[in-house]
Amino acid sequence: MILCCVSIVGFTGSVFLDVVTREIGAPWLWLQQVTTGFFAWGVFIGMAAAVRRNDHLYLVEITKRLKGPKRTFMESFNRLVVLGVALAMVWFGYKNAMLDLGSFRMPSLIPLTYYTASVPLSGLLIALFAVEQLVNGWQKGFEGPEDTDDFGRVAE
Amino acid sequence: MSSGAVLFLMAFLFLGLGYMGVPVAFALMAGVLVATSFTQISLQSMVGQMFHGIDSETLLAVPFFLLVGELMTSANVTQRMVRLAQTMVGHMRGGLAQVVTLFSMFFAGISGSSTADVAVLSRTVAPEMDKEGYDRAFTAALIACASTMANLIPPSIMAVVYGATGNVSIGGLFLGGIVPGVLIGIGLMIYSHFFGPVGVRKMRASMSEFVDALQASALPLMIPLIIMGGILTGWFTPTEAGMIASVYILVVLIPLLNRGHLPHLWRDFMYTGMLYAIPLAAVAGASAFGWMLGFLRGPDIVAAWIADYAGTSPGMILLLLVLLFVIIGDFVDAVPAIIIFMPIINKLTELGNINPVHMGVVIITTLVFGLITPPYGLSLLVASKFVGVSFASAMRASLPIYIVFIVTIAFTVLFPDVVLYLPKLLLPESVGCFKNPSGVGYICPT
Repeated sequence: MILCCVSIVGFTGSVFLDVVTREIGAPWLWLQQVTTGFFAWGVFIGMAAAVRRNDHLYLVEITKRLKGPKRTFMESFNRLVVLGVALAMVWFGYKNAMLDLGSFRMPSLIPLTYYTASVPLSGLLIALFAVEQLVNGWQKGFEGPEDTDDFGRVAE
Repeated sequence: MSSGAVLFLMAFLFLGLGYMGVPVAFALMAGVLVATSFTQISLQSMVGQMFHGIDSETLLAVPFFLLVGELMTSANVTQRMVRLAQTMVGHMRGGLAQVVTLFSMFFAGISGSSTADVAVLSRTVAPEMDKEGYDRAFTAALIACASTMANLIPPSIMAVVYGATGNVSIGGLFLGGIVPGVLIGIGLMIYSHFFGPVGVRKMRASMSEFVDALQASALPLMIPLIIMGGILTGWFTPTEAGMIASVYILVVLIPLLNRGHLPHLWRDFMYTGMLYAIPLAAVAGASAFGWMLGFLRGPDIVAAWIADYAGTSPGMILLLLVLLFVIIGDFVDAVPAIIIFMPIINKLTELGNINPVHMGVVIITTLVFGLITPPYGLSLLVASKFVGVSFASAMRASLPIYIVFIVTIAFTVLFPDVVLYLPKLLLPESVGCFKNPSGVGYICPT
């Protein structure tokens, strides 16, 4: 969550400086690269944070209405799907990031890897959080206070 | 495996996993990754597509408009705008219901998120409506319906996503969304007046009360002017306008109107930092899904089906797309829906020679309707939760209000000239007009 805060403060500041430097006639072109960097990292780190807080968008939340073994089965299955996608993000994201060492962003010639490395790192965090939730769920059950307040948290 | 079968498998996995409770972004990616393994495309490129989906400067406007809504809500500055709405329409029949609608129109000009609107109204006006004996189901239904205007009246996050992925002018979409947004507002006010609860009749506010309320809310009401003024004068892009509005709230509004909130600002940033990642994670997944859909020639298949029925008639194409998106909006969140179906929308826009801004406004208005229809009526779900009423009863109360949305959608389809009037007037290039070589005025496509 702190990294999410850093990212949004970072790109708010960089867009602000971008406008100011442009208006005074001395634009810092590299600021746009800083902005997109903060933004991309913010999205993928936030994606991982939202997994830990169960705050992602859902089509329906039928699992929260289930109890007992059915709930354990569904929650475990869902987290295994998330884990599978996360592992794909780690492995293929890592391969992409290595490939991107040879691609550069103009005008400051920063390797694209600085941006695309956010994908495998996010995948790693998501995988860790998914495993954490699985272990906690199997030990203590998946039911929790958030079952009755799922939508409220999104808006608050 | 044939393209059609892979397409079906991908869609089936997305919907199946989504309805089993897998988050949308992951259900999309799981569908894409499984489907990709049946094609010659590498899984690596599909994961790369997730990054490219959000690697767009235009999408930066999304967090800024969310930040504006979050700062306004948590700093409790919106109370002043509620007061202004009360002095304007509080004396009418169903006064508080009218206040809900009018406030939503004001707030829609500040925030691009209907969820923020629901949160504000549920905290401020809903308890008052409860005291005055309004049926809670009606309150939840009205708040949910009114909050949908946030996605039409600029700034709109849906318009930003649509413009960024469909390469359509966001300024044009913002201006085009005003007509359906205001139509929904007027429709809700008419409905509340004739068919809603009477409420407690109050005295009309005096001129001095109105002027006081207007003065008190003058600073928050500058935000729509900053956003649209900046975009229309060409000073700012939509992203920069969102940033300027955020800075204005941080530097001017909160220090002047609610200084006590300053120590809590970091919490707003932290929360918005995660909040914006939620729709954009879905954008990343939907982007890979949309790419694969295009690769499997999904747009061609759907466009051929629609062309079989509609030919190249723009009206029929729009009508069939509205029907399609009413169904899609019932099941899928608007942001991923826009990205997934953008290749199909583009294909049909070309086929029917429809103005892209008009098409965008029609699609967004239709998807907005999905925010209050079951089973995935997000605004109605949030409103029923906050107001403390079951989703089923809130949905029953909202059923008659659907007519307002149906009429508005029909209007946007049938009267493109009215929808495009403001974009043509204020941002002619956004709708394909170009400067007259004589130097006077613009030449616009008919």
